[in-house]
Amino acid sequence: MRHLYLSLMPEALIASMLSPEEFGNYYAVGAEHTTQGQAVFFEVDPAFRHADIPIETALARCVPHADGQPKHTVYASVYRVLERVPLSAIGTLYLVTKDGRTLGVQRGAEKADSSEGLHLYHELAPVRPLVVSRLGPEPFFRLLCGGSDTPLSIPAITFVELRLGDLATDPLNGSLGDLPYDNTSHLRSCLEQVKSKEVAAKVVDRLHPGTFSYRTIKNGIFIGNKTEGLAAYMLPSMGTLKETNHLWWKSATI
Amino acid sequence: MNSDLWLYIGIGCGLGSIAAALVYYRWVFRQEPGTEKAVQIASWIKDGASTYLRMLYRALIAVAVVLVVVLGVIFSGDPERPLHGVYTAAAFGFGALCSALAGWLGMSIAVKANVRTATACGRSLGQGFNVAFKAGAVMGLAMVGVAVFGMSLLYLIFHDAEIVLGFSFGASSLALLAKAGGGIYTKTADIAADLTGKVELGIPEDDPRNPAVIADNVGDNVGDVAGMGADIFDSYVAATVASMLLGTSFAAAGSIGMQYAILPLILCIVGIVSALIGLQFVKVGPDGKPGKALNFGTVFSCVVFCVLATILFVVVNALAGETVFNYGALIATISGLVISVIIGFTTDYFTNDEYRPVRNVAEISASGTGLTIITGFSYGLISIAPALIGIVIATLTSYFSAQAFGLPGIYGVGIAAVGMLSLTGIVVSNDAYGPIVDNAKGIAEMSGMSHEVVDTADVLDSAGNTAKAITKGFSISAAALTVLAMYAAYSEVIVKYSGGSFLMNLQDPIVLSGIFLGCIVPPLFSALTMLAVTRNAFTMIEEIRRQFKAKPGILAGTELPDYSRCVGIASSGALRALVFPALLAVVLPLMVGFILGPTALGGFLGGAIFTGVVFALLMSNAGGLWDNAKKYIEAGNCGGPGSEAHKAAVVGDTVGDPFKDTAGPSLNTLITVMSLVSSLFAPLIAQYHIFG
Repeated sequence: MRHLYLSLMPEALIASMLSPEEFGNYYAVGAEHTTQGQAVFFEVDPAFRHADIPIETALARCVPHADGQPKHTVYASVYRVLERVPLSAIGTLYLVTKDGRTLGVQRGAEKADSSEGLHLYHELAPVRPLVVSRLGPEPFFRLLCGGSDTPLSIPAITFVELRLGDLATDPLNGSLGDLPYDNTSHLRSCLEQVKSKEVAAKVVDRLHPGTFSYRTIKNGIFIGNKTEGLAAYMLPSMGTLKETNHLWWKSATI
Repeated sequence: MNSDLWLYIGIGCGLGSIAAALVYYRWVFRQEPGTEKAVQIASWIKDGASTYLRMLYRALIAVAVVLVVVLGVIFSGDPERPLHGVYTAAAFGFGALCSALAGWLGMSIAVKANVRTATACGRSLGQGFNVAFKAGAVMGLAMVGVAVFGMSLLYLIFHDAEIVLGFSFGASSLALLAKAGGGIYTKTADIAADLTGKVELGIPEDDPRNPAVIADNVGDNVGDVAGMGADIFDSYVAATVASMLLGTSFAAAGSIGMQYAILPLILCIVGIVSALIGLQFVKVGPDGKPGKALNFGTVFSCVVFCVLATILFVVVNALAGETVFNYGALIATISGLVISVIIGFTTDYFTNDEYRPVRNVAEISASGTGLTIITGFSYGLISIAPALIGIVIATLTSYFSAQAFGLPGIYGVGIAAVGMLSLTGIVVSNDAYGPIVDNAKGIAEMSGMSHEVVDTADVLDSAGNTAKAITKGFSISAAALTVLAMYAAYSEVIVKYSGGSFLMNLQDPIVLSGIFLGCIVPPLFSALTMLAVTRNAFTMIEEIRRQFKAKPGILAGTELPDYSRCVGIASSGALRALVFPALLAVVLPLMVGFILGPTALGGFLGGAIFTGVVFALLMSNAGGLWDNAKKYIEAGNCGGPGSEAHKAAVVGDTVGDPFKDTAGPSLNTLITVMSLVSSLFAPLIAQYHIFG
């Protein structure tokens, strides 16, 4: 069985003989503990093909090694992948911890929480800035992917909304609580500017690291493009995950 | 009242305490051990602990045999007491044996109780607490029982406190090896497991995929059960023997009666009875707060001891129709006891996250590691003040109250140390409870018990951490007062054997040289033990990385790590690293004494005691503070796990680990051993020395 995975860290389309859980473990920790790090990827319909991506070539190379071991990864593309994979071909989202524990998240029918207050978005692909905004996830998506008459417009995007806690309503004095963000005085200042000025969004960190703590996810991870709109992968609460996916929860919260 | 009768009561009470320990042992052993997987994990911990203890005891036997021969030969030269050397050597061997027995009993039940506590946590918090605390009580009762039995028996046979001093030296020698070795072991495993597991790979604590996880759990037992137990056993015996020596010495000079030579033993008997009563009242209340239950037990036992000791003095004096036991000794005892409890709780202030110091370090950590270290270290320095002021108050109160009632003031100081340590039974019970619940939490995690069980064990574990911090403050303060009494005993022995007076003049270069040489030892000892930790941790980290590389299935959870290799590295590394520091403790005082003379040795002991106590308090409290600042952040404060504050706090905790669990607490034993060596060899040093 050969799989196709759309990795967000880095953005790439990968063919693999590993199941999603095995792939997640391998992608995070490596075969000989040679690579490390959080991984986020989608399972892609194995029947998906695109003229600009040599998927057949990659699949042809995705065969067992001489010793019978399955092929772990064959990169089909590492550039502008997200915009070429339609939402209809995208399946389950997998969140992998640094130590290789994998959690599968299904696409949800429920709407993202667009409640009052400020929002913090970490864009995962195609670029990775950290952004604060007055807009909820859907308006934020429309701001970036909605039209072609703005220099900001991009064909597709994946982003995650991160918790702001008290800072969502009181940027200057709200308690940081358990939010592990760096340079919080700058974050507070950006939030205050978005709250009080006309701008809808402001970049907090233009070169933000690709990784983030899963426990800071507010709603879930969003993926969308100009033609098909926005899809949401809503994450259960950490309390629920503690009950249902205890091992993943433990690794995700250290 | 016939003094031999008290010694028979001491023997009976000691045996009674051991019997009570065995009853608790049996009760704990009968509890449900739990699932096959949990039992399997517990057996790995048990095997690791047994392997280490076997290696430690083998090393101890070798050291003991050498020292028995040396003591036997050296002390047989007195024609008036031809068998004194043989008796001292036998007492030394007996002391080492008793200390080993108490440590073995405590370890033996701790490695059985951990899995039973985890299983009981599945039923309720109260039941989990009960199993862990009763297992801790096995250690507490066995220790005081063995000590009182041994000292009473030896004094009954020989009626010579100097022979009992050999018993104390035997106990201390083992304690030094057990405490320093256990401290090196536990922090080697802890640091290696954390740096590769948590920091490098993001593996949670107590995850069975970490090759060092079993060594880490074994370390809790060898460091905090056997090590800390041996340390307090050593102080307990040394304080009693120092006061017995002082009592004997003053009685021989005619300033007090012979009953004061055995009064310390009588107070130990009262302490055992108080602990046995107090243990019955340690129960988790409906509010589900185990820390409150542990503290209540300590305070309640303290009150019971004060009441029983007062009744004893009043009744004995009334029955005799005269003052058999001077009330000055009672005031000194109670002052020592009360101050020890106060010092314990001031330690809690500096290391508990409910108070300002820990929270301040946590908050300031958001600005970087440098500030974490500076702030924590500064609080550690401040924490020395209340403890030393407490020791000063205890010293002055006991000295002048004894003097006001017509007793030698320094005897009052010795008795205050005995008062401080009279709660040893309950304090050690609380202390041994800590590693048992820590292990229970680890076993619950590793064996895949439900998260409710893990959460319950976590609540018990938090209380254990606080109890551990209080115990350290208690043991350091007790050791300080003990060595002051031992110091006085040393002076008395020197006076007795040199036939002159013993005065130390700070203008005398010989004395000053002794002081400076003494000041060197605690920092040198600390550095050697901490370097041993870093060296062994480095080796273990390499082994962990090797295993992950050689067995890719470990992280995937499809292959088991080789736990025994990390256990082996920790065990052999700890014992190898002990040789030089242990030699320092025995050889340096002898070199100073025989070369520079008794006054230089007096200065040497003074320098070592004062810097030792300061270093011990600083390192124990700063380490505990950094540890709890990290835990406070992990509880969801100051940015929580993964934040900049957390990263800085993790570094602080790593620095603090060998501070609080290796070097800091071992210094108690170091200064006790050096004081004992000096007192034991004082008769020879008084006669044979080059200078002074």
